[in-house]
Amino acid sequence: MQSLTLESATERSGGRLARLVPRLHVKAFTGGAIVAIFILVGVLGPALAPHDPNKQQLTAMMRPPQGIGAIHALGTDNLGRDILSRVIHGSRVSLLVAFAVVFVSGFIGITLGAVSGYFGGKVDFTIQKLVEVVWAFPPLLLGITIMAFLGQGLFNLILALVAQRWIPYCRVVRAQTLSLRERDFIVAARCLGATKRQIILRHIIPNLIQTSLVIGTFAMASSIIAEASLSFLGVGVPPEIPTWGTMLADARIYISTAWWLPLFPGLCIFVTVLGINLLGDALRDLLDPRLKRTASGI
Amino acid sequence: MPAYLIRRLAGTVPVLLLISLLVFLLIHAAPGDPTLMLLGEETNTAEVARAKERWGLDRPLHVQYFKFLVAAAGGDFGKSFKYAEPVIGVIKTRLPATIELAVFSIIIATLLAIPLGVWAGSKPNSWIDNLGTTCGLFGISMPSFWLAIMLILLLAGVLNILPTSGRSTYGIAGPERTGFYLFDSLLQRNWPAVWDMLTHVFMPALALGVNMLGILMRVTRSAVLEVMNEEYVVTARAKGLAEKNVVWRHVASNALIPVITVVGLELGTLLSGSIIVETVFAWPGSGSLLITALNARDYPLVTGVVMTYTMAFVAINLIIDGLYAVVDPRIRY
Amino acid sequence: MNPRHQPTLVALLAALALLAGPTANTHAQTRVSVGVTETIETHNPYGDSVSLLYGIWSEITGPFCTYSYSKGDFEGRLAERWKVENPTTWIFSLSKNYKFNDGSPVTAADVVHSIMTRVIKDPQSKQKASVAPSIVNVEAIDKFTVRVITDKPTAPLLSLLCDRLIVTSKAAFDKYGREAADKEHMMGGGPYRLKELIPGQRLVIAKRPDHPVAKKNPRAPDEVVYRVMRETEQRVTALLNDEVQIAQFIPPHLRQRVEKSPNLKITPVDSVEIMFLAMQPKPPFDKKEVRQAVCHAINRDQIVATLLEGFASRLDGPLGPGQYGYDPNLKPKMNYDPERAKKLLAQAGYPNGVDVELQTPVGRYTLDKQLTEAMIPMLNAAGFRARLLTPEWATLWASVQKGTIPFYYMGRGSVQDPSATLHQYFHTGETPRIGYSNPKLDELLDKEQQEFDPKKRRQYLSQAMSILTEDAPACFMWRHKLLWGLNNRVEYQPLPDARIYAIDMKVRR
Repeated sequence: MQSLTLESATERSGGRLARLVPRLHVKAFTGGAIVAIFILVGVLGPALAPHDPNKQQLTAMMRPPQGIGAIHALGTDNLGRDILSRVIHGSRVSLLVAFAVVFVSGFIGITLGAVSGYFGGKVDFTIQKLVEVVWAFPPLLLGITIMAFLGQGLFNLILALVAQRWIPYCRVVRAQTLSLRERDFIVAARCLGATKRQIILRHIIPNLIQTSLVIGTFAMASSIIAEASLSFLGVGVPPEIPTWGTMLADARIYISTAWWLPLFPGLCIFVTVLGINLLGDALRDLLDPRLKRTASGI
Repeated sequence: MPAYLIRRLAGTVPVLLLISLLVFLLIHAAPGDPTLMLLGEETNTAEVARAKERWGLDRPLHVQYFKFLVAAAGGDFGKSFKYAEPVIGVIKTRLPATIELAVFSIIIATLLAIPLGVWAGSKPNSWIDNLGTTCGLFGISMPSFWLAIMLILLLAGVLNILPTSGRSTYGIAGPERTGFYLFDSLLQRNWPAVWDMLTHVFMPALALGVNMLGILMRVTRSAVLEVMNEEYVVTARAKGLAEKNVVWRHVASNALIPVITVVGLELGTLLSGSIIVETVFAWPGSGSLLITALNARDYPLVTGVVMTYTMAFVAINLIIDGLYAVVDPRIRY
Repeated sequence: MNPRHQPTLVALLAALALLAGPTANTHAQTRVSVGVTETIETHNPYGDSVSLLYGIWSEITGPFCTYSYSKGDFEGRLAERWKVENPTTWIFSLSKNYKFNDGSPVTAADVVHSIMTRVIKDPQSKQKASVAPSIVNVEAIDKFTVRVITDKPTAPLLSLLCDRLIVTSKAAFDKYGREAADKEHMMGGGPYRLKELIPGQRLVIAKRPDHPVAKKNPRAPDEVVYRVMRETEQRVTALLNDEVQIAQFIPPHLRQRVEKSPNLKITPVDSVEIMFLAMQPKPPFDKKEVRQAVCHAINRDQIVATLLEGFASRLDGPLGPGQYGYDPNLKPKMNYDPERAKKLLAQAGYPNGVDVELQTPVGRYTLDKQLTEAMIPMLNAAGFRARLLTPEWATLWASVQKGTIPFYYMGRGSVQDPSATLHQYFHTGETPRIGYSNPKLDELLDKEQQEFDPKKRRQYLSQAMSILTEDAPACFMWRHKLLWGLNNRVEYQPLPDARIYAIDMKVRR
């Protein structure tokens, strides 16, 4: 990353990627590996898990971790359920929610941002006011209130998370659209008689894909944490679906007596998010150095 | 600039109005009945009807909203259902605790992140840089509630050097004057209370501030990197200034701009993040008050706290913009 | 904070911390701190309706009369004695020895004012439905005699008034207005006076040395601090650090931490809160067999033994030992029998099972989510297809009150006398919580409420409970044994209804 800065500031070219590669290589590889494992585990979940995550054994409650290869490698929880299996199944929910939230919010945000930036005027004004109002809400609060209204459920959870998350896409895309709008190839297309819709779809949006990719990666990380937060507060999915956040919430009263209960699910959240952020960093270095400061705050 | 400020302020009014409407609708739409929550298990329909009438909950929704607006314009957010006290008063008793928590989070985050970030940015590819980058990455990836639990497990449980929760130990603090425990204790020279306060605030502040720490680290570092290669830095070096001087006098102050932005942006996240951290640590602040109020469907109190947060947020943004103009003379509104 | 573990770098501050540590030992006065789970929210003594606060305010203002668990009967205090003149009229004679803090006697006028103005008419009062649901008029016959008139015969009136009726000063109310009277001029006739109240944090009471009851109990603490500590870890830690000497409701899995300490002990107490699974008589629960199948499906003994570590007593019917009207021979017994449950389901027309959704609050009752999670596989093994929902309490409670939750886990506290509970949940038309209607049961419940002869009343109650258990609109689960953590310096036997009377504590000096 630092070599890239030097290059851009002093406008030297050539050998850019070469200097970049040592750092990029490490980041992309580590991040990519973690994310790949996460996706793999999430997809293959039921096949990988040694036990049924909801199978209770009231006679085998609160067993500490027994080590790799044992029956209960990571121990059992307060109802005798295997923690390793629950953690594996929990990754499925995180995966599903992360992808769903990112895609839905991305779709909404990009569309609204492009429309807002391209059309300007009243449309822009309305959309931006909407952005201001929704964004001013403490994020967790909006999620909690929406969940209280909708009730427990996976679909509702995704909806509650999308409610605010489309905004970063909207903002960045709008800014880029504004600057793109006056570029030559757009003007040319207009002269050639392309309709507004055609211009947006064929010219503006493809340019924004790069930006969105980077935002999306970081958004995935924050969605996982947001889902875990809502589950932690008890307003997520019903208890039959194991999620990392719910496992952490259940573990709260056992902090002093069963350290493995809060450790593993939280560790999963941390490592997964770390991997996604690493990958996001690498992507950003590769695709667009200008996003450095905006994307890192998302 | 004053004209700009006034324009900005005027612009926030419609936003605040819309937010109040949104809050109002959301909280009323959520299933659950405040009268039932507060009247106890043994209540009956007649009691419930009486309470509804007293609290004005039997009027149509738009009438209720209108009444609320009129009162709020005069600074009166109504009376909390649960505490039977004016909402503003209830918030006042809890807000200092959250502010204290937020301030300490910022202190921890900036004290650790900025020096490290500047150092890392000024020595690219060194071990410091690696350390800084890793810290930054860990910081932004850490779920604050997990860190909170792990800290409790380690520091309060296994090592037993810090208290598990709460803001203070009963009996140590002196009489409350400003509501800020640290302040009051310092004023009264009550040193055991100062120490008591610090031991209680450390873990929650760390848990709350860890994300900000990560972001600040990264932003500071990259801002420093950018600035390091600007012409005036090269000039300063050519003049023969010591590297340390170069870094701290020229680089750091210019790198402050994005840092200030980030701190400002993150303040809002801090306020909302405090909701979870306060719950885990039983910290008696406005975040846990919000949760309590929400669970009790205490409409006036929820509205009051949310409006307080959003107004604070708006104010912070204004201040940040103002600070920009101070730090960067090129910016003129 | 444990001074032993201070790092040596800050030894000076550690010494200071030690000096400023618990002050109770250095005073000639004795002080007991209690970690409680209820929130103390208002200065208005009539503004809360939880057991703990009824108890504290009763102690500050009386109590009016009290229920003695050891004797199994009511005893006079402020109201020395009483008689039932006719089924709708009670006469209470007040003691002449109870004086307010300013020396003026507590009189019948104060009782009339407290019931009529403060409990019944005041919109801020939350106690009307639980203390005076059927009282229509109260009059002062003379300075120390009160007549209470109810709209219908109310045999269990004492269980509503004793340890619950708060008697405050009419004069103070008239002179200062309600807010100031409560906040600044709180006066009561009881052995303790209100010293400090910070809503959400603590309530402090101080003994009145010249009160006759206080004189009889010299070892009762001079000061008691009730501290709100809702988080279990916080309460247990406070107990271990001697920040509190009594801690309410230690969860079973933390009890060993307390027992390990040589200065502390755990006292289990049977609570009077009954836990049950309620079923609305709508499909599939409109068939009695399905309801009975639910009761037979749950292995209560296993849940109690494993998840509750033995700290609960199984309920075979709505009541357990110690509660008024308990019948050890109550039939039928809905014991654990999954095979029987399957057969019943088939009989009811569900040979291939039926989908049901159990709803439970989270964190409201001891291990509520866990216990109900454990019930799901049991229901499934008996032929149901069950799933669990954990809505927010506000949502759940509102829906239960509206009658829209078909199947839920719930508790009902303060069941020292079952009348109010049974009426509330099972009498036709009282509340929509279950929506159960059985005319025969109604008849028995009406009779018991108006029957003043204890023997006959018990009979009616037994019959009613027999019908209830057999017809099973609810499956009665258990009563939790609540674990109290106590410092050995304090001798105190906690009561089943979570009410704390400081006067019964004995402190070792």
